Amino acid sequence: MDVIVTKDLTKYYGKIKGIESLNFTVKKGEVFGFLGPNGAGKTTTIRTLLGYLQPTRGSATIFGKNIEENIVEIKREVAYIPGDLNIYGHLTGEQFLDYFAALRNREMTLLDELLKIFEVPLDRKVKGYSKGMKQKLGIIQAFMDDPEMVIMDEPTAGLDPLLQQKFYDFILKQKKKGKTMLFSSHILSEVDKICDRVGIIRNGELVALEDVETLKHKRGKKIRLKIKEKPETFKGPKDIKIKNGWIEFIFTDNIDQLIKKLSKYTILDLEINDFALEDIFIHYYEGQK
Amino acid sequence: MKIDSLNQFFRLKIAIQTMKDNWKISLILTLLYMGMAVMYAGMYPAFKEIMADIAPGFMETMGFIPGIEDMASYVGFLNAEMYQMFWMLILGIIIGFIAASMISKEIEGKTIDILMSNPISRKQIVIEKYLGLIPMFLLINFATMFTIMGITVAINEELNFSYLFITHIVSIPYFLAVIGIGLLISVIIDEKMKASIVMIAVLVGMFVFRSISLMIPDYENLGLVSINNYFNPYEILKYGEVDTIGIVVLILITIFSLIAAMIYFEHRDIAVT
Repeated sequence: MDVIVTKDLTKYYGKIKGIESLNFTVKKGEVFGFLGPNGAGKTTTIRTLLGYLQPTRGSATIFGKNIEENIVEIKREVAYIPGDLNIYGHLTGEQFLDYFAALRNREMTLLDELLKIFEVPLDRKVKGYSKGMKQKLGIIQAFMDDPEMVIMDEPTAGLDPLLQQKFYDFILKQKKKGKTMLFSSHILSEVDKICDRVGIIRNGELVALEDVETLKHKRGKKIRLKIKEKPETFKGPKDIKIKNGWIEFIFTDNIDQLIKKLSKYTILDLEINDFALEDIFIHYYEGQK
Repeated sequence: MKIDSLNQFFRLKIAIQTMKDNWKISLILTLLYMGMAVMYAGMYPAFKEIMADIAPGFMETMGFIPGIEDMASYVGFLNAEMYQMFWMLILGIIIGFIAASMISKEIEGKTIDILMSNPISRKQIVIEKYLGLIPMFLLINFATMFTIMGITVAINEELNFSYLFITHIVSIPYFLAVIGIGLLISVIIDEKMKASIVMIAVLVGMFVFRSISLMIPDYENLGLVSINNYFNPYEILKYGEVDTIGIVVLILITIFSLIAAMIYFEHRDIAVT
């Protein structure tokens, strides 16, 4: 089942392009990563989907409901962690959560669990919170009533690595329960770790939309090796690069063939790496600027 | 589904939060206005003595204040010093200042993002913010009224208390209109300071127009654009005369401002800055 469906979703700020003709779907139960550098249109997409911005053209549905007609209904099942999050500074953490629990008006089934994972000083005023604490509070408020989907705009910003890991674990746990997650990021390693599919956005346009595994698989493996012979004598694929005596190339065929080929040389060192999302990302952004 | 959203509306959680957020300022303003009432009403006996020495021409130069000609009497004095200036203009500015910052400060401070992530329509946010400000005004309104009553008894002056009561009842639509205009500005201008300053400019501008219309007969119609034109405490305090059409106009201004604010807020973009 498709949870989010966009059709030619377009947003212009006056004459400035925000996003142009976005077409993508997010399926139920998947973690969808929205990838792109700052200013690519990630936040614009999210804010258009959630009714903060009016689409200039095109349309979108979430859980089968039109975003322009039923946004309040949609928000009953869709929570949001805004990027560059700010929370009422004059309230304590507890007062803030009480207020929002009252606005949601349903049972806060995950609140206790969340408070255990993401500890925040509940009795302190939010204005005394660090950026990381605020971010934790933002995560808690989004997940506390166990919504069907959570849309997150760079949710790990301000979290230390330990907390990031706890957050990833929590996301994957929610995913197992069949919940859907859409989140934007420019941190490739986290998208790599937790996303099922990824949409790469550049200049407001979707340039790739693929399964993370296929994307990496299709790109093959990164090979780095050192040989006793002169590097220049090595015969391999066309796009060989030689750096400080290391021979580097990308290999997409059967790995066995490669090993047999390499046996003709005296190997000093060899590294075989999966293609990281980062390399793919750079590939999509190459030549841009 | 209809009943569900109706239920959600009558919970008024944003309105209640707005009240809670404003309780300190409400209390301070209430005490301030009680103090002001004590000061002005209590000043009258001393003022009465020197009143005879003030040249009659002086009053004429102050013709832009309705009821100034009767300033020598207790009612006229209360009207000119307390109601025309510190009530209609200054309290109008204070309440308007707060109303104009209501939504603009959430947009400027980005808390609107997280508020709007809840299943609440933008229209409801506007209405609840509006409702949330009313108790603050009511508190100031009636606390001031009772203070004036008390001090009037204490200094043994004559004042028709039922007329005083009516004055404070008619104050309600006047200030509801002020809050409505403030909220309209609040949804249009994103920066809280800018919104509040525009609100002050609007109120002072209306006051000036009204003053000109009272001073220069040729510009009599200029006062029609001013909300001060539709509420005259002097007429009520002195004669118990209520300007019914004025009240209707004030209510219409309130309704128009609120509807305009809801429609504008519903359709505007909340962009990241």
